Amino acid sequence: MLRVQNILKTFNKGTVNEKLAIKGITLNLAAGDFVTVIGSNGAGKSTLLNSVAGDFPVDNGEIYIGDRKITGWPQYRRASLVSRVFQDPMRGTASSMTIEENMVMALRRGQSCRLRRAISAKERVYFREELAKLSLGLENRLTNKVSLLSGGQRQALTLLMATIQKPQLLLLDEHTAALDPKTAEKVLDLTCRVAAENNLTTLMITHNLDHALSVGNRTIMMHEGQIILDLREGERENMTINHLLEMFEKASGSHIHNDRMILA
Amino acid sequence: MSWQVFSGTFEQGLMYAIMVLGVYLTFRVLDYADLTVDGSFTLGAAIAARLIFAGQNPWLASGLAFVGGLVAGAFTGLLHTKFKITPLLSGILTMTALYSVNLRIMGRPNIPLLRMRTIFTDFGKLPFMDQYGVLVLSLISVLILGHLLYLFMETEIGVALRATGDNEMMIRSQGVNTDLMKILGLSISNGLVAFSGSYVAQNNQFADASMGIGMIIAGLASVIIGEVLVGTSSVRRTILAVIVGAIVYRVIIALVLQLGLAATDLKLVTAIIVIIALTTPDIKKKIDPRSGTRDKKGVTHA
Repeated sequence: MLRVQNILKTFNKGTVNEKLAIKGITLNLAAGDFVTVIGSNGAGKSTLLNSVAGDFPVDNGEIYIGDRKITGWPQYRRASLVSRVFQDPMRGTASSMTIEENMVMALRRGQSCRLRRAISAKERVYFREELAKLSLGLENRLTNKVSLLSGGQRQALTLLMATIQKPQLLLLDEHTAALDPKTAEKVLDLTCRVAAENNLTTLMITHNLDHALSVGNRTIMMHEGQIILDLREGERENMTINHLLEMFEKASGSHIHNDRMILA
Repeated sequence: MSWQVFSGTFEQGLMYAIMVLGVYLTFRVLDYADLTVDGSFTLGAAIAARLIFAGQNPWLASGLAFVGGLVAGAFTGLLHTKFKITPLLSGILTMTALYSVNLRIMGRPNIPLLRMRTIFTDFGKLPFMDQYGVLVLSLISVLILGHLLYLFMETEIGVALRATGDNEMMIRSQGVNTDLMKILGLSISNGLVAFSGSYVAQNNQFADASMGIGMIIAGLASVIIGEVLVGTSSVRRTILAVIVGAIVYRVIIALVLQLGLAATDLKLVTAIIVIIALTTPDIKKKIDPRSGTRDKKGVTHA
């Protein structure tokens, strides 16, 4: 479904701040794969996701979704195939607009907008049904502004928006990290359910090693712009967090100095 | 204030309200401080005056003024989106360029329209309109344009436009070309501003190369006053607020003049109104999106 071939990305090329963020990554995801991505800060996890989403052009390599080569596509064009949820709940929704307006934008993802009434009565009913599935009581607040929602509610809404029109690929960039533990679990449960129901191909960055092993069907570990570990179903089931840490140290040849990974 | 002064003020307020609708579209909806307004207001007046002076149909002239504004706004939008010039500078560049363009269009610094056929003289010939023609035509125009703007905001393009001003990254990831939205918003906004300029010129019976100076601040003052007085709970309400704000602003200006200040002091008064509004903390919460609920409830980056 997703094929990333030998991509390379350097930031601030030719300056003292030059940083080789991704050093030739190749990654293939089958349809329905749910891959968790771990790695210390600066490992290139977000850069990988952002390259796929099209935030910036890559320096080298190709990216395919299905059999479409999307390497040169601008971000807004990739939107028809890829949807994303960020760590910051503020980023995924327009706060001064209503819940239904936010949802209709997501429903029209990748289509060109037209000069016709944005929300129909039928869609309103559909939104209400979809929101009810979140069991957060949002189904009765369609015309409330999103700024009135809590971080967790906003993130749940963002997730719903990311999947309301089934994407070819779902990218999750630590989307539960800014939430309190209870809300984070709830949003993660929702993520798994939505991904399973729609058989979505998903790439999820997490700093929680427990989640990394329990969620999805495959785990990759990144370090200094490369994939240093790729665990498939069999290996993954026998893996423990401690063992994972050990493997990280062995593979990267350095100790983990990221509290968030150890404490999580 | 005599009735005549009051009705004159009210008429002015309605005409300027068309301009304020445009300012609202960029300043509030797109979150873009667009200084093109000073130039495009005069542009509208210049186009209308030149055509009317040459004996053209005033309705056609007003329509072409709107089109001129569209082009001016699109130019600012192109400077900003395609050449990555900052919003403020893009607006200033177009505004400066327009000053010369406007003089070219008029052929001289001002054009008198005394006893010329204008949309107001045409409208005044309708039954019962001999006395209140200006008031009724301005009112109808504002209500129609305000309603059209509201309908537009509820369309798919309108929703995408609002989202571009609210959360550009989000709407871009939904597949909307935000550059196009900005150009479109700036274009419509300046179209409205120029249209308003054509009304004011026809009502005042002259166009002047400097009549747009300070227009953006007058627009901002009107938007802020309206938002504080009427509120912004929905799009419909905000548009109504903007129109009310434009009228109240003109009334305030008229009152200040009655108090004995010279007409030349008006820009100072306007600037002071805006400064007071922007610096008063509890009003500020209402008007500055960044100091409102967004940040307080916001989750900080980890």
